[in-house]
Amino acid sequence: MSERIFGAFLLLLSVGGIFVGWDLKAPISYEPVGPRAFPLLVFSLLGVCALGLILTRREATEWAPSPVLLRVGAMFLTVLAYALLFDKLGFVISTALMSVPLARFFGGTWRQAMLAGAGLGVLLFLFFDRLLDVVLPVGYWLKPLLG
Amino acid sequence: MEILSHLLDGFAVAGTPTNLLICLIGAFLGTIIGMLPGLGPINGVAILLPIAYAMRLPPESALILLAAVYSGCEFGGRISAILINVPGDAGAVMTTLDGYPMAKNGLAGPALSISAVASFTGAIVATVGIVAFAPLLANWALAFGPAEYFALMVLALSCLGGLVGDSLLKAMVGVLIGLMIACVGIDANSGVYRFTFDLLHLSDGIPFIVVVIGLFAVSELMLMLQSHHGSTTPVEVTGRTMFNMQEFALAKWTILRSSVVGFFVGVLPGAGASIASAMTYSMERRMAGKDHCFGEGDVRGVAAPEAANNASAYGSLIPMLTLGVPGSGTTAVMIGALTLYNITPGPTLFQDQPGIVWGLIASLAICSVMLVLMNIPLVKLFVKFLQIPNWVLVPGVAAVSMVGVYAVHGTTFDLIVGTLLGGFGYLLRVMNFPMAPFILGFVLGDMMEQNLRRALSISNGELNILFSSPISIGLWVAAIAMLLGPRLAKALEARRQGPAVI
Repeated sequence: MSERIFGAFLLLLSVGGIFVGWDLKAPISYEPVGPRAFPLLVFSLLGVCALGLILTRREATEWAPSPVLLRVGAMFLTVLAYALLFDKLGFVISTALMSVPLARFFGGTWRQAMLAGAGLGVLLFLFFDRLLDVVLPVGYWLKPLLG
Repeated sequence: MEILSHLLDGFAVAGTPTNLLICLIGAFLGTIIGMLPGLGPINGVAILLPIAYAMRLPPESALILLAAVYSGCEFGGRISAILINVPGDAGAVMTTLDGYPMAKNGLAGPALSISAVASFTGAIVATVGIVAFAPLLANWALAFGPAEYFALMVLALSCLGGLVGDSLLKAMVGVLIGLMIACVGIDANSGVYRFTFDLLHLSDGIPFIVVVIGLFAVSELMLMLQSHHGSTTPVEVTGRTMFNMQEFALAKWTILRSSVVGFFVGVLPGAGASIASAMTYSMERRMAGKDHCFGEGDVRGVAAPEAANNASAYGSLIPMLTLGVPGSGTTAVMIGALTLYNITPGPTLFQDQPGIVWGLIASLAICSVMLVLMNIPLVKLFVKFLQIPNWVLVPGVAAVSMVGVYAVHGTTFDLIVGTLLGGFGYLLRVMNFPMAPFILGFVLGDMMEQNLRRALSISNGELNILFSSPISIGLWVAAIAMLLGPRLAKALEARRQGPAVI
């Protein structure tokens, strides 16, 4: 069932892609095949495959039990929040904040989670930013402190 | 003779103190990355690539680092396979079958050391193979025009479709989604914005690193959480650490045979380390006749897959270096590394950038020596890394992945796109869509379109040009055979067995 739903999603995607891609035309063209052909080819093949997914009988997908799925979803949201705040809060703080829930998901106690958060935030920052010269965001709050 | 002098030049490049150090660090990190279940060569290479770039390593050093990590992973995968019965990477799946029983019988030391020697032999055989075949293939490929290239890429993709997983349809969906993502951004030929939806950040397309880290690192962490059952304790390494002469005598031909087979399987685009190790394992099992204890701790059962997966990992560098067409997920990421440095992989690489190519090849040899020297005495140190609890490891990997994505452009936008792709990748992987076609489609998308358009420009729009030269016809035939061959064989087999059952 879930594959059929995914197939329907892909079908919508390919129809949308063809719709958007139809108007792709180069103002001045030097070549017989413009920018439109390849995307249209890809989207139409994708549409055919999507129909295949919808119409053929397939084995049911085994999803994890719902409490596990809920935790995976929560973890995804945590990482998404991390991505959003990475630049604004700076590496040290955002990493520490992200690490605590992730450590809890993977069976760490609160104490361990706090430890992991603080340790990873500071040590990885020192390692990448200071030792390896990979520039990381400092964030507004720590800026006066770390330059 | 010419090759020998090139090879010496390569050793000069790989032998500078900096590059030797990079090689050592890469090999060490690679072993750990390969060993930790959930982290494999693709994630390792994907995460380290932008960091190497941000550290402003010169291209040859960056490539040496990635190659060292790649071969380190193939060495490291066996440690967790033998000690905790969980393969550290896909190539080590078969190693668990005999490795874990050996460890249970108190033979963890010999299992680890014979597999290290097997891995080393596989790596060396494959390096020799690369030196022998890669320049020839590159020379031959110089004659390829855009039409041939287009056919070649179709061949590479259909090899994957034929070999990967259960469902051709799923592999095709993967390829097409990859091609679709590759279409986003400014069209290089006409300057038209395609599928950017007026977002400035999308005008250069979605960066390669963002896609790879999202698909492989973020979704991998989600899968790890899904299958998380607390920690496993590794079998302790006690007793002798070296194998004895008797065990070596039993395994030596196995190691050599598996290395050669593994190398050739690796050269085929699409067939990676996991197929090579599965093939050689069953081959050795059949050849052993009655006199074996495969499945209960036979040394040959450990040696065969390990020799094969290292050899095939190196072998898969051949299509990447000579044709510019990656044969596996990891080499696709390495192509991304080259393009990050504005180096176009392909047959001209051997002429334009001999320092990079031969430096890479020489570093493969140096790296294997380092790995085997490191792996046998230091195995107890490596085992300590297996005890890193997941509650430190997972946030650490998440943070380092973000650092990798951030290192490319330094924008929040990329981080978010990467995470969203990670969630999408998780759904795909739970539904059993193979990921290798996806990433190959994404890497090849741009090249395929460019070559198709160039070919059609030459012929002024006539499609015939795609099927006009003998090389391209051969490639098309091979593509169809790869796509249908395995399925026809399976269907015939089923038909032959069908009536017998009734």
